[in-house]
Amino acid sequence: MNDTRRTRAVLGVLLLISLAMITVDYRGGEHSPLRGLRAFGEAIFGPIEDAAAAVVTPVGHALDTIIGSPDAHRRINRLERENQRLRQQLRAQQIDKSRAEQLHRLLGTAGLGGYRIVAAQVISAGEGVEETVTIDAGSGDGIRTDMTVITGDGLVGRVTQVGPATSTVLLATDAASSVGGRLEGSGEIGVVRGTGRRSGSPLTFELLDSTVEIKPGQRIVSFGSQGNRPYVPGVPIGTVIRIQRTPGSLTRTAIVRPFTHFTALDVVGVVVAPPKKNPRDAVLPPAPPKPKTPSPSPSNPGPSNAGPPNAGAPAPAPTRRASDEPSAAPRAMPSAEESASAGPPSRRRRSSTATEAPRARRTLTSTEPPRQRRPRTPHSPGD
Amino acid sequence: MSRNVLATIVAAAALLLQVAVANRLPLPASVSPNLVLLAVVALALVNGSMTGLVTGFFAGLATDIVPPADHTIGRYAFVYCLIGYVCGLAADDLERSPVLPFVAVAAGALAGSVLYAMVGMLLGDPRTRWPVLSHQLPVQVLYDVIASPFVVWAVLRLTRRAERQHDPGGLDAVPGFYRAR
Repeated sequence: MNDTRRTRAVLGVLLLISLAMITVDYRGGEHSPLRGLRAFGEAIFGPIEDAAAAVVTPVGHALDTIIGSPDAHRRINRLERENQRLRQQLRAQQIDKSRAEQLHRLLGTAGLGGYRIVAAQVISAGEGVEETVTIDAGSGDGIRTDMTVITGDGLVGRVTQVGPATSTVLLATDAASSVGGRLEGSGEIGVVRGTGRRSGSPLTFELLDSTVEIKPGQRIVSFGSQGNRPYVPGVPIGTVIRIQRTPGSLTRTAIVRPFTHFTALDVVGVVVAPPKKNPRDAVLPPAPPKPKTPSPSPSNPGPSNAGPPNAGAPAPAPTRRASDEPSAAPRAMPSAEESASAGPPSRRRRSSTATEAPRARRTLTSTEPPRQRRPRTPHSPGD
Repeated sequence: MSRNVLATIVAAAALLLQVAVANRLPLPASVSPNLVLLAVVALALVNGSMTGLVTGFFAGLATDIVPPADHTIGRYAFVYCLIGYVCGLAADDLERSPVLPFVAVAAGALAGSVLYAMVGMLLGDPRTRWPVLSHQLPVQVLYDVIASPFVVWAVLRLTRRAERQHDPGGLDAVPGFYRAR
């Protein structure tokens, strides 16, 4: 039965048929008469395959899962790592963005005042009652002790210790800090003392002349120390928000709201070269839209009876100020505060840095009104 | 008669399994065992040349027209017909050597793939070029050999059961008996 003549005949016939089919289908191409055969196959086998797939596909998926499980694990791990990295990048980008903005403002401030600064970043903060921060710039960057540290908003403090790559900054809000300050407009000088970040109002301002009137809303700039160390002149410090009357005291104390956000310090600048000329009020942000009208100071300006208790009791400053006093107020200052303001030097400086100044000022203006209004209600007069 | 029915059923089942299951298996080298070829070889080994070549022709023709197929009709029919015939020639020796089915399957798989590729080359099929083949052929043969015991075993088992049912009288109806005649 196996391999008989009949078998061979059938084999020959079938092979011939298949060769014929190949030829016909190949020659026919798209219009092959055997397309009908394929359509028939489609009609017959299609539904059967469909049904078989409905049974087989879940099994196949399960098999896929089992076979691909180590691969899937690896893939999940890789994706998770990548996710983590991307999220970190995104966070870093946001931080970088805010830093760039702070740096921009810092440069604007430095440009206004004519300071040369070294930008640095706060990397750690002191504990407990110490109000100090560490910045990532040290003697290698040209930083020495007793240099002024500022932000785009205003004064931060001074450098107390310098390492090779880091330095310690004593914040102006530290209870051990006292900065010579000058009242905007009238030019009255006094001492700004820190009371601690945690007390509601971190700064107080004591005028040396108790007869001088202070109004809430007046702003304070740094007065400048002897030899410009530790404090360079003209750095904005804060706004007077309340007057504290101490009966029997020779001086009167004002509660000051600092321009700098001491709780959110990030990018700071260390003033490595003081301005050649005292910028006076030029670095101050433009006055709020509705300025308080300070009464002209009735007393003679200039502290004659007592020197400032600050480290730098500047001898030349009062005389310079007195000579500047009659000069015209700069354009940016409102008319109410024109009695004594920055003179021609500051105006010249402002025009020289005109490209940076408006932008910096605009950002400051937008933050100005809430900063002045907010603290008035929550603080009790006790502090 | 029942052998022919059985052969049809086996070939159809192999075809369906091939299309619905085997071709979708995510196996390495993206090659899958050729179940139809295995079924043809097994049927030929069990039943002889005649069954082998007829089954091979029709199974090949079905493979040619089953939906995902997109090649010249008749290629598989030609190849499987030949393979079925040649493997059927070895049917007499099936009981003498236990490794024969594996050798036959390996040879059949190799010959089937090569023949198919040769026909494709004659027709100028761009899918059957040598670089592709040289990668695919060894893996294909390996997979076929691995899968062959299951197919051959299933075919043998089914054949014997069918013959026992067909001759309930208890005639000594084993394949060897037929082949011995």
